[in-house]
Amino acid sequence: MNLNAHLSELPAAEAAAFRTLVARLQAAPQREPSPQLASRILAAVASERTRNPKPETRNPKPETRNPKPGTRNPPPWQWAAALAAALLAAVTLFNRPAVPLPAAPLPADPAADPAAWLAACQEADGAWQPARHGGDPAYRPALTALAALALARDPADRFREGVRRATDALVALQTADGAFGGEGRVRAYNQAIAAYALATLAPHGPATAAALERAVAFSRAGQSAEGGWDYEAGSEGNTAVTAWQVRALAAAAERGVGQANIPLRKGLRWLRGAARSEGGVAYHRGSAGRSESLSALAAYTLMTSGRSFEGLPALGRNLTAALSAADGAADCYRDYAKVMAFESAGDTARAEAVRTGMRHRRQAGAQDPWEPIGGTLYTCAFTALAARQ
Amino acid sequence: MSPPMDSVPLGQMNDADLMLRVRGHDDEAAFALLVARHQKILLNFFARSGVQYDSEDLVQQTFLRLYRYRQRYVATAKFTTFLFLLARQVWIDELRRRQRRERLAESLAAEPHEEFAAPADPSAGAQGDLDLARALAALPEGLRQVVELAVYQDLPYAEVAGILGIPVGTVKSRMFNALAKLRALLEPEATAAAPHQGPAKGDRP
Repeated sequence: MNLNAHLSELPAAEAAAFRTLVARLQAAPQREPSPQLASRILAAVASERTRNPKPETRNPKPETRNPKPGTRNPPPWQWAAALAAALLAAVTLFNRPAVPLPAAPLPADPAADPAAWLAACQEADGAWQPARHGGDPAYRPALTALAALALARDPADRFREGVRRATDALVALQTADGAFGGEGRVRAYNQAIAAYALATLAPHGPATAAALERAVAFSRAGQSAEGGWDYEAGSEGNTAVTAWQVRALAAAAERGVGQANIPLRKGLRWLRGAARSEGGVAYHRGSAGRSESLSALAAYTLMTSGRSFEGLPALGRNLTAALSAADGAADCYRDYAKVMAFESAGDTARAEAVRTGMRHRRQAGAQDPWEPIGGTLYTCAFTALAARQ
Repeated sequence: MSPPMDSVPLGQMNDADLMLRVRGHDDEAAFALLVARHQKILLNFFARSGVQYDSEDLVQQTFLRLYRYRQRYVATAKFTTFLFLLARQVWIDELRRRQRRERLAESLAAEPHEEFAAPADPSAGAQGDLDLARALAALPEGLRQVVELAVYQDLPYAEVAGILGIPVGTVKSRMFNALAKLRALLEPEATAAAPHQGPAKGDRP
């Protein structure tokens, strides 16, 4: 039986109404795949072929229930995977997502050598899978970007091949419009950080260079009239997203991406306008209060991305001077921004003091406020990025 | 009698034969042809599920699963049945991911119908398409998938039943309910006047 035969069983008037409805549904316009989709798929399959030549022989059984987390009965092979994941979770992580994933081989202590831990966690496709490490899988592009940046910063250059694979993975994750997946806020976050990583990690081929051009085009399109970026449409910008976008555009401009220059200038102007006379920066330019994390991030951005512009490095140094080197609670994002700001300002003593604080808090088992979302990938990436060069 | 497979140009092979080449010989060209033939169908499958920005990612995941599970394909099954079985699993994983995300970070939670907040095209045709998309997105997932497979993919009910893991009779009842709900959403005047609801309590005979 098919739909037509089914409708023929109904009373004539009802069948006619349903047939009209079905014709309307079928006549609705369809979306066209982007020109890059097929090549992205084939590149991902080629990577799978190289990394994991043995095909899955387990049966992809059909689901027989509505998708409700934690209520389905997985097939036996998934019970085995769930058991492995549960054992791993008992040792290392809480807040593990409901869907079991095969356990990945991990070094024992991510705190001892976070970059090596990240390298060991890299997946066959070159990306990182947050769900394995207590993070939200929606942020796979951003966490892949952060992990790749962390590997690239390794002073001994141990992870060059991993960085190359991660860059390819970011290109594969990119959508036709230049973003990197996700919706709404998640999309904005992924795009800003992935664009920065693409621009920072040397483009090693035409595909990566083209991806960077697309990422910059997306950034340009999302810039507000005032020069900032935000998670929400219609906002003039917030300091966090604007700083990452400015860093991405500055790195892209250095690589010769011409379309990055104008939005870069507008973005730097926005950041300059966010700095207050008393030496702080808030989340929004008009909001009260002062954010230590964002003051550090803005200072670092002005000193590095704005180094060719008169007055901006000095403004960044002023903001850095107002930062504190001692903090009570754990926050790897804040600590990373501070280390970078202090180092850029030439204040290595205070940079080292922040690193010492990070180390002590980690040894004391302090919970990072972002870990429930970013997982161990996030904390390890920022710890490695803040490490001494 | 069909000719020996190797003597037929790849472009003239049906999906099942291409898949057998992928399964038996890890034939990259055959796989590329399957991607070319089915990427648009899958893209629209996910787009009609309410995914706007990640549809292409989900298409990629589906083809990756197809490659990983290539040894499980048997020629007795229609290729599209196998493909949609995998696509449905990808979609279920995506739904779970969204539910986890909402639990984990309320402030970063996805807005499932965010795309509809965008200004609509003022032309009547575009508004009509928007209404269709809204109506489809408003259907319960079980009903929407039956519409997807039987209306858009034109699959026989037996195949729909196989993909969804439900009896054919359930496919029929879900299809009827889905069409009735869609009609009520898209043509409220027509359904309001329909006599099948019967008299309300207290009405005179």
